Amino acid sequence: MINSILRFGLIFILLILLQVLLFNNIQFSGYINPYVYVMFILLLPIEIPSWLLLLLSFTTGLIVDFFSGSPGMHTSATVLAGFVRPYILRIVSPRDGYEPGSDPSMLIYGFRWFATYTLLIVLIHHTALFYLEVFRFADFFRTMLRVILSTVFSMMFILLIEFYRRGK
Amino acid sequence: MRNLLNFLARYNNLIIFLILEGIAFYLLTSGNRYQNSRVVNGVRGMTHGIEVKINNTRSYLSLREINEKLAAENVSLKNSIGKLVKHDNLLFFSVEDSAYKQQYLHASAEVIENSINKQKNFFTINKGDSQGIKVDMAIVSGNSIAGVVVGCSKNYSVAMSLLNLDFKLSARIKSNGYFGSLSWDGRDYRYAVLSEIPQHVLVNVGDTIETTGYSAIFPEGEIVGTVSDYEKFGGDFYKITILLMTDFKKLHFVDVIGNLKKTEQLELEKVFK
Repeated sequence: MINSILRFGLIFILLILLQVLLFNNIQFSGYINPYVYVMFILLLPIEIPSWLLLLLSFTTGLIVDFFSGSPGMHTSATVLAGFVRPYILRIVSPRDGYEPGSDPSMLIYGFRWFATYTLLIVLIHHTALFYLEVFRFADFFRTMLRVILSTVFSMMFILLIEFYRRGK
Repeated sequence: MRNLLNFLARYNNLIIFLILEGIAFYLLTSGNRYQNSRVVNGVRGMTHGIEVKINNTRSYLSLREINEKLAAENVSLKNSIGKLVKHDNLLFFSVEDSAYKQQYLHASAEVIENSINKQKNFFTINKGDSQGIKVDMAIVSGNSIAGVVVGCSKNYSVAMSLLNLDFKLSARIKSNGYFGSLSWDGRDYRYAVLSEIPQHVLVNVGDTIETTGYSAIFPEGEIVGTVSDYEKFGGDFYKITILLMTDFKKLHFVDVIGNLKKTEQLELEKVFK
């Protein structure tokens, strides 16, 4: 228990630092803004109680908001991601169910499973985030393009990090 | 009562979700942009330590370019001093009032946090209340415009970048003086859009666009950029795409400009509005 709190605390800090120090400073173009901190929501144990998941999502979003100077934006997108995660997990569940007490990792459930799971949650998170950012439906398709491109890049980085974790 | 408890137990996730989203939306929409940027400001006080470190690295890497820019600016300043000295000899003015012709105050500052990839971009500069920076002062980089101060703490200020959907500016075509409204359309950090220029006006690619000074925030004649493309938009107006002169991706040293006579102008205008 203590062990896993420490582990997820470490993952949390690393991902936030990565996001704030690195990815927030990459200004590749207006269309591509990778947000990898969502990975924290992805990695939490499968059997985590929903209320805790929601609270952790809220905290994560709030801290990222502090650093990017956009109160509420990341918070609401991340809380949404935390809310849909149990449903997504149910949708993508492998044929023989989840192993009790396991984490949703590539090592246990395979690359394809992890990629689908990541894609769905990142897509939902980014859609909420980018539409909240413009806060209007003018330029609907341009925002959609931003969502798609950013999702591709966020996913790429998340999968890379996950590969690295598996390598260790 | 039991039904209510059952209901709560059954939908507790949904309820927590809605509460948390409610808080997030409250944060997102609370107040107008000014109050909003105040929140940002207060919060940035906590995170600026890290931002300062990132900025130090960045400023070291771009020293060469900054030196060149400063040298160029020195030359142009020396030139204008020359002009001024000559002017003074020609003018007739009362000696007691030495501030009669000074309208704008300049202060230099350094950008310590900046973004270009959002729809509503703000940047932070390293001067604030204690250095005399106030809300609604103009920020220029070299002599091209960059943004407007929207919130100040003791030693820092947050400015709304030109790259912000809420940013509006009165600008004109230098060659013929027709003015319109300039804003950013959120697409590319290098381009902005000038609208409300009627179609009978002659527009050429490459024309300089400058500020009008009507808003009492920006001085007259600060350069915005050049026309890069124009098309007919609706029945009467052009939609002119402007290549911005300021490179927001490497915005670093900026000048803050305060208008000493702003209150006077605004109060007089208020009488007739």
